[in-house]
Amino acid sequence: MERIAFLSIGPEIILLGAAVTVLMLAVTVKLGSWSWAAVAFFGLVCSVFLSVVQWFRVDDFAEQAMGVSELPIILNYGGASRASSMVVMDHFSSFAGFIIFAIGTLALLSAWPLVKSLEQRGAEFVALALLAITGLHVMTLANNLLLLFIGLETASIALYVIAGFVREEPNSDEAAMKYFLLGSFASAIFLYGIALTFAATGSTFIYGGIEVFVNGQLLNLMVNGNDSVLLAGIALLIVGLGFKVSAAPFHQWAPDVYEGAAGGAVGLMATGVKVAGFAAMARILVGAFPLALPLWAPAIAAVAALSVIIGTAFAVAQTDFKRLLGYSGVAHAGFLLTALVAAEGGVAGMWFYVATYAFTLLGAFTIAAVVSGSRSGGSSLDEYRGLATRSPVLALVLAVFLLSLAGFPLTAGFVGKVAVFSSAIASGYLWLVIVGLTAAVAGLYFYLRVIVLMYFVEPALVRNPGTAVADPKASGQQQLTLSVALVVTVVFGVVPWPLLNLAKYAVPS
Amino acid sequence: MDFPVLSLLIVLPAAGALVVAVIPSSRRDLFLPVTTAITMIPFGVSVWILWTFEIRGAGLAIADRFQFTERVLWFDSLNISWNVGIDGMSLLLIMLTTFMFPISILASASIRKNIKMYMVLMLILESGLLGAFLALDLLLFFVFFEMTLLPMYLLIGIWGSENRIYAAVKFVIYTAAGSALMLTAIIWLAVVGGSAASGGGGPTFAFQDLTSIELSGTAQMWLFLAFAAAFAVKVPIFPFHTWLPDAHTEAPTAGSVLLAGVLLKLGTYGLLRFNLTLFPKAAVEAAPWIAALAVIGIVYGALVAIVQPDLKRLIAYTSVSHLGFIVLGTFALTSQGLQGGVIQMINHGLTTGALFLLVGMIYDRRKTRLISEYGGLGKVMPLCAGFFLFTALASVGLPGLNGFIGEFKVLIGSYLGLPIHAIVATLGVVLAAIYLLWSYERIFTGPIANAKNSYLADLNLREIGILVPVAALVLFLGLYPRPALDRIEPAVEAILERIESQTTFDVPTFGREVEVEAVGTEE
Repeated sequence: MERIAFLSIGPEIILLGAAVTVLMLAVTVKLGSWSWAAVAFFGLVCSVFLSVVQWFRVDDFAEQAMGVSELPIILNYGGASRASSMVVMDHFSSFAGFIIFAIGTLALLSAWPLVKSLEQRGAEFVALALLAITGLHVMTLANNLLLLFIGLETASIALYVIAGFVREEPNSDEAAMKYFLLGSFASAIFLYGIALTFAATGSTFIYGGIEVFVNGQLLNLMVNGNDSVLLAGIALLIVGLGFKVSAAPFHQWAPDVYEGAAGGAVGLMATGVKVAGFAAMARILVGAFPLALPLWAPAIAAVAALSVIIGTAFAVAQTDFKRLLGYSGVAHAGFLLTALVAAEGGVAGMWFYVATYAFTLLGAFTIAAVVSGSRSGGSSLDEYRGLATRSPVLALVLAVFLLSLAGFPLTAGFVGKVAVFSSAIASGYLWLVIVGLTAAVAGLYFYLRVIVLMYFVEPALVRNPGTAVADPKASGQQQLTLSVALVVTVVFGVVPWPLLNLAKYAVPS
Repeated sequence: MDFPVLSLLIVLPAAGALVVAVIPSSRRDLFLPVTTAITMIPFGVSVWILWTFEIRGAGLAIADRFQFTERVLWFDSLNISWNVGIDGMSLLLIMLTTFMFPISILASASIRKNIKMYMVLMLILESGLLGAFLALDLLLFFVFFEMTLLPMYLLIGIWGSENRIYAAVKFVIYTAAGSALMLTAIIWLAVVGGSAASGGGGPTFAFQDLTSIELSGTAQMWLFLAFAAAFAVKVPIFPFHTWLPDAHTEAPTAGSVLLAGVLLKLGTYGLLRFNLTLFPKAAVEAAPWIAALAVIGIVYGALVAIVQPDLKRLIAYTSVSHLGFIVLGTFALTSQGLQGGVIQMINHGLTTGALFLLVGMIYDRRKTRLISEYGGLGKVMPLCAGFFLFTALASVGLPGLNGFIGEFKVLIGSYLGLPIHAIVATLGVVLAAIYLLWSYERIFTGPIANAKNSYLADLNLREIGILVPVAALVLFLGLYPRPALDRIEPAVEAILERIESQTTFDVPTFGREVEVEAVGTEE
């Protein structure tokens, strides 16, 4: 008997509906941007709410699925076979949903000045954003690698378009093209990884398929030396997702795309993908290949170390703030991968890190959009000169974000680093922690450089002779985004335990 | 648990920062008096703590040596707690901190730019320092240790002189590089060592728990080095000192006073509290080497100070030399040496703080720090000359003033353990007389060579009010150091007992009351 638990895919249904409604509204009644906002934010807020409901109902789902496994598998086609459910709803999925929908809501808020400036085309932007958010969440709750891939592509294709949305800016075109070409390439690699995994294990299901096979056969395979197909499959999966989260050496697109894409859109592109990408990575590596840990952990550690080093080294030389955040994102991808070498023990730390990092990063990009304009691509560091005298509050908020990214105590960034590094040390990766912390110190240099420009340097009086520089001011929506990001960054830096404790449950089993 | 007076002490300045933050920026005249008043409250609280602090004898477990302890779980998955307590050593450093802050605030009258932010940063800095001296949880200590970094960075970077950005960034990067290694070590110690201590029951960051674990010699050595890296930069121990002259020279007066007076003590305090107690085996092994670096620092700092044309830079280099004495005393691993080291922390804070205050006062009048611009100032500014000579003599170690007792104890203590080091270090005392008295001579004596100096006003009432309490304390500690030493001694004995119980190292009995009595009964 077919049994579909609609609650588990409720957010997806709502968001898809919202996306279609926004598009329809735009071509039929033409009420203007407020109507899109009403629909989009209604959908997003419902999704946030539903993911909270999911969190508390997970145990009910588990009871329904009893007799099959302890795993709460919701979407069952053709009876209660574990291997045949496409979607898995556990604390991990609902936690990911909560973070992704919350981040998506805020990112769309901070993009709203851009949406308004796009006039009629704004509806497309909103619809694409909603589709992207849907795809991102599908990545985290898929139990089948193919469904995961569909989520990945839904999100990616929407984001390629968003990256190039402001067509008048030449950089924007370049960014979109680069993102599209390299992104498709990475998707293909990921798909090939699925194929090889299927070849080796005979299944594309994470729980009930691959995991069962790996648990049963892996040792045997390793002894006989026949695991090369599986190994190649895991490697390609890591490469594909590594691209999406901009881990070195698959990171080259990130700075260019961040710099080229419109200021208002980058927050959406950069933050949600990080959350979903790391969630998918954790789901695949920890969920499907738990016993293959000795095979993939060294590779993850190597990618982590490389990301941290390359991201930090290149960020030092940047003169554009968004590019700088792009390279700093590469380094942060390294820190996040550091959590994964601890497998299950590191997932709670990873969640804390990536959740707070996403809010902080969104805040930083929002400020870039305020300072340089929502439509503009570049955000030269020169524009931040003397920001503390021009817009003291904005400068202070950005300083807090930068300190959190640098990992200063009493910010969420510090707690995240401690959590991630303790799990890595507990699993014996001391060298990786030393590399990470050394890079973190070097990273201090470029975060502080922005603070130097804002606080220690007087503002350049005129940008172009004859025109006075207007003091940057955040719009109402941007202020809301910044406030939430600031609260998350500071509150979880001082009082981290609620989130850390929640994250402990959100582990793929 | 009693009233959480230590938490109150830590939180008070930060709460004061909030008060200052709501004063409208237009009321520029309010900031100085209000902030001074706010900093007087922690001072009052610390005096109360000094009053009620009981001097406990030897033979207590490490955890029982701390008073006013509080311990509340902070984040439970890693077992990090709000864990504070005070012993004789931190008591004196707390007193020094809360004493120096009102003085530094009063000395900031010449600050014009963005005075509100300046005062807020000063108060946050005070909270960070107090927290670092009181924290008994390693991660909490690290949080406070880092928390002091940022206000000082901004103080130097925004209100410093010409080369401020270079100095500020150099200061942060050097310090953060050291502390990154320490953070790695703290996490390793808590996760790997702490889990072993609790029988696999998860990590612990509590100082009290971590003193009970057994670590192999190699592990201790690595951890020791990682902790020492952070503190060696902070102290600074030669050759990690190069950030110091820049930071001290470029910082505004109050910044230099606090940097030299209090911030550097975080390093020496950390060495005493964490390096010696947590890793005794490694400490014994490393002691001669670190002491050797300290001696190099003493002589090198003094020699470089002699040739400085810039008065502030000169005093900055004297810090390298004086801090060398503290480190030498610490790693002599004798009772006298450690006591001398601790009391010298206080002494250096007072005297160097006062010297920076005086330089700041002269600088406010002439806007130059070059010694060659001055000469004969004693004729127009007799009071200033008097204070400078008094402080310089205290810094040199004239008997009867506070510098003497500290340096004397350090030299005796290190002679017992490391005679050659001590003999070379004595050079530092001689050189100190040269650099300080010679600079006094060039600035204050002789005819007024530069006409610009003819009409300088002598110290005003506010400035005298700043200097008198410091001078009084300098004199008091010089004449009657007993109350301070009584409180230091149990803390120092605790460290030595820990070293003796963990290693085969024999601490010389000279000057240790407990040991001398024991020998007497055997005879």
